[in-house]
Amino acid sequence: MWLGLALGVAVYALFGLAPAAVQALISFTNYTALPWASTNFVGWANYTAMFTTQRPGFVQGVTATIVFVLAVTIGQNLIALLLAHRLQGEGRWAAAGRVVVFMPIALGATIVGLIWILIFDPEGGPANSFFSNFGIHSSFFGSSTWAMPLVILVQIWQNAGFSTLVFISGLRAIDPQIYEAADIDGIGSWQRLRRITWPLLAPSVTVNLLLALVGSFTLYNTIYVLTEGLFGTQTLGMLAFNAAFNSESANIGYGAAVTTTLFVATLVVAIPAMLLLRWRERRLLGVNR
Amino acid sequence: MRPGFARPRLVSGIAIGLLIAILFLLPVLYAVMIAFETPRHFLLSPMTPGHPVLGNFRQAWDGADLGLELVNTVIYSVSAAFVAVLLGLLIAFPIARRLIRGTSPLYALLLVGLFLPFSVIPLFAEARDMGLYNDRIGYIILHVEPGMPLAVLLLVAFISAIPMELDEAAWMEGAGYLDYLRRVVIPLTRPALLIAFLYAMLGVWNDIIGPVALLADSSLFPVTRGIFNFWGSNSSAWTHLGAAIVIVSLPVVVLFAASQRQLIRARFTGSVKG
Repeated sequence: MWLGLALGVAVYALFGLAPAAVQALISFTNYTALPWASTNFVGWANYTAMFTTQRPGFVQGVTATIVFVLAVTIGQNLIALLLAHRLQGEGRWAAAGRVVVFMPIALGATIVGLIWILIFDPEGGPANSFFSNFGIHSSFFGSSTWAMPLVILVQIWQNAGFSTLVFISGLRAIDPQIYEAADIDGIGSWQRLRRITWPLLAPSVTVNLLLALVGSFTLYNTIYVLTEGLFGTQTLGMLAFNAAFNSESANIGYGAAVTTTLFVATLVVAIPAMLLLRWRERRLLGVNR
Repeated sequence: MRPGFARPRLVSGIAIGLLIAILFLLPVLYAVMIAFETPRHFLLSPMTPGHPVLGNFRQAWDGADLGLELVNTVIYSVSAAFVAVLLGLLIAFPIARRLIRGTSPLYALLLVGLFLPFSVIPLFAEARDMGLYNDRIGYIILHVEPGMPLAVLLLVAFISAIPMELDEAAWMEGAGYLDYLRRVVIPLTRPALLIAFLYAMLGVWNDIIGPVALLADSSLFPVTRGIFNFWGSNSSAWTHLGAAIVIVSLPVVVLFAASQRQLIRARFTGSVKG
């Protein structure tokens, strides 16, 4: 037992905590990874550059992140809840529906991104033909009005299946005897949903909200494939990636500063959210859990 | 059922069925459709299916090493997720049972891991110094950690729900620790294990920076890097890309379709226990 625990914690510390700590350290340097440039400690310079407008992107990044995180977290979970309710059954159609909904997960971020780029290709894509019937012409992922809503759509499309799975497993964990007892007591279907299903689903709600929150906060891969963070879609997660690797002035020290800020911001939002959700769980499930 | 309830229910059932079909199926079907079109047909009428041809598949298969990359991806994601969940279990049990001192700080420290950024540069340096760079096993080891926090979070909750008496009974019968985990804890925590496994697997599957930063030989590339490169060098060859997408996705989707029924069924029997 001790060995197993020690091994697990060692792996976690070595490949999780240590790199993050080094990353935080790098954020105080002007490291560029270029072999001829020397690396020096620069104090808080990267952070001041970020918070002032000396380096562009941060203020806009905060707005983009708030919009993106809220829309994805709420949208993804509402859709998943609806789907889980419909697809939890044993029947053939429910099984087929589950496969369809889970498919984007199996495809992976890169392929999902490419499929949607194809659909919204401004020259030959089907969305363009469709919308041009209504007189709408746009470059979609290359347009400041469309890019953000579309990126949100793709992120939800890709991950709704995972949330649905979590909700389904939560729904299935509810003891059927409770429903039977409720039927005997003659409780209506709305009351059933409100008084039994919803409270007992609380642990799944916690997991799903938390994962959607953190996932959308730190996301860069899907956005990178779709827009590279252009046209108003540069969230802080995307900015951290771009600042370090994908710009003319690529600067790893600065990228590390954005990443570390993002980490702190995620903690500041996610920990109260987690405590709140836990508190809600305990309230809904009664004190004994 | 009262008749007043049946009608709106049916209508909303159909509406949701349509929503699922349109939103989730059509984009994928479209990619499949163009995979069977000639590039010329695609350019002339992108909305209609053409006379089906297989040439795109040949182009895609020759243009990139898709088969090998797919095998790599599956090896990486499955092994890393398996190890992550296993280590998560080994950490979660002592925490859930409070068998060690400092349980709460340790648990909190592990939960912070949910929010840790993937620190590519330090990880790259670490990989190089430890001989894990550009190496199959190394790549797997480097991808274990991101899957662990969720495994711990879910498993601690599930293990806490297992009655202590079961532990004691097993102790009395002289069952070993690992034996007990395998026979009692794993079956009772199956939903948590499956979700954590899936989450860990998807993390590796969707990683786009890892393959660039931690691998150098093209024979080690996962399919994400391969297909992205393929797109980069054939950027307007949509029909080829469609074929590449079909080749890569088909085995995975079939595997998923075959296993998800099993997963759901297993879960149902697994949770009937008190």
